[in-house]
Amino acid sequence: MSTPVPTLSVPPVPRAGWRIASILAAIAVFIVLHVFALRGTDFEVSALVTGAEGMASFLADAFPPDLDWESVLAPALKATTVTLWIGLLGTTLSIPTALLLAVFASRTTTPHRVVYQLSRAILSFFRAVPDIVFALIFVTAVGLGPFAGVLALICHNTGVMGKLWAESMEETDAGPQQALATAGASRLQQVTHAALPMALGQFVGLLLYRFDVNVRSSLVLGLVGAGGIGLLINQSIKSFRFDAMATQIVVVLVLIILVDQLSSFIRRRLEV
Amino acid sequence: MTTLRLPDRAPHPAPPAGGEIMQVRNLTKSFGGRTVLDGVDFTLSRGSVVAFLGANGSGKSTTLKCVMGLETPESGSITLEGTDLSTLRGTELVRARSGVAMVFQKIHLVPRRTALENVCAGALGRLRGPASVSPMFFSRELKEEAMAALARVGMADRAHEKAGRLSGGQAQRVAVARALCQRASVLLADEPVSALDPRAAEEVMALLAELAHAENLAVAAVLHQPDLALRHADTVIGLVDGRIEYSGDISGLDASMQARLYTPNRAAA
Ligand SMILES: Nc1ncnc2c1ncn2[C@@H]1O[C@H](COP(=O)(O)OP(=O)(O)O)[C@@H](O)[C@H]1O
Ligand SMILES: [Mg+2]
Repeated sequence: MSTPVPTLSVPPVPRAGWRIASILAAIAVFIVLHVFALRGTDFEVSALVTGAEGMASFLADAFPPDLDWESVLAPALKATTVTLWIGLLGTTLSIPTALLLAVFASRTTTPHRVVYQLSRAILSFFRAVPDIVFALIFVTAVGLGPFAGVLALICHNTGVMGKLWAESMEETDAGPQQALATAGASRLQQVTHAALPMALGQFVGLLLYRFDVNVRSSLVLGLVGAGGIGLLINQSIKSFRFDAMATQIVVVLVLIILVDQLSSFIRRRLEV
Repeated sequence: MTTLRLPDRAPHPAPPAGGEIMQVRNLTKSFGGRTVLDGVDFTLSRGSVVAFLGANGSGKSTTLKCVMGLETPESGSITLEGTDLSTLRGTELVRARSGVAMVFQKIHLVPRRTALENVCAGALGRLRGPASVSPMFFSRELKEEAMAALARVGMADRAHEKAGRLSGGQAQRVAVARALCQRASVLLADEPVSALDPRAAEEVMALLAELAHAENLAVAAVLHQPDLALRHADTVIGLVDGRIEYSGDISGLDASMQARLYTPNRAAA
């Protein structure tokens, strides 16, 4: 004889009908959006098939890559160095602006509510405008070349790094800062003696991450005339020199992998 | 298993006859309509250790926060060295308050900075100008004063150690040195030893009592254990539901008084 297992009837889920209806509505909206999106972008699988021929001839042109030292490899290496310098300066020269705005835009360190809102707005603007748009503006202003790229990266990176730094300061332990406040330290002293040293490790990690991203961005900036290897790749495409382009891309890949490895190596060392 | 054998009463010299330095009168505070402090009165005197005891939520931390200006009481007055703090504004208030130092349960040193730099930071309230923003510019006099404070708490040999590498007890002693470097005459401590192991807790409390008696400081410490108070405090303030249940000499903290302070909340419905 087994004793009966006790059971209890499950009460009805409140407003179950509503839930199902709203899930179905969400799915319907999702599908409709995609129908419009596919039409709007001339999305056609058949174009991929017919385009395969063009792709093949492109690859045939690109191989073997042109490794001529004088006309291809040396200029590619030189331009890649410029790309690296653009990424480096775009990162380091945005440190002062990013730092100032981060301190103003962090709830724990801002001197005033109005300053806080204003710096948040400035950071949002510089973050929202893509670096490539800044590059187009600066190419018109200061002319074609790497300097326009550096200026573009400074602007966009200030927005991104300032936001990341402000957030990391808001997340660090505010205790030491409060301790100094009770000792009579001024707001500026609280920032330089507690808030900043508390967040320094995070700051350096984020800086290296942004350097990594900025080197990659500076490659794209070259495509719109802002100097570096991107400019050479653009010229190769326009003159149908796909074999030269292949070489240039390989050189860039090596640079990007090196920078990525270096920055993650340093970040790992900093964590311990 | 090793046990820590402690005398009933740590061998502190008798407190000198110190003058009253802070009077707190009729402090009331409520949060969202609930009264948390209800007419709290007490006096702190130089050369004396006051222990605040009471169950969780009885208002010990809120009392210290009101005194520190971290919370604003609804009513009541705080008089420091004869001056009613409510009559002061701006820099005058900041200067007066810098005579009161705080020591925290979570210690709150900057781990990346050295013990010496953390101690120097206690002096920031009286340093102004652009040179006060970095330890690089700290004057020799300040560093020597900080070294003396570190020596006073027995941490001189760790001056250049990063605070993050110190043990809890060592870090709390450095925090006490920071309060000394602030040149405060009143030292408020909210559960200064609750995060420490028994031996370190004993050492830090003995240090606070010794400083009170030898340096003529007024020390008020929230303690989570009556026996710490029995060994190191001169007087006790016992809170129950935001009211003072006992205020007086440590000898009055007998078993029946402890029972009254820690019985489950009667007023709660
Ligand atoms: N900022 C706050 N907001 C709302 N309630 C608070 C706040 N701070 C303290 N309290 C309440 O006040 C009462 C006393 O708290 P506290 O002074 O921290 O007690 P104790 O330190 O004695 O344990 C508690 O019931 C607590 O919940
Ligand atoms: Mg408390």
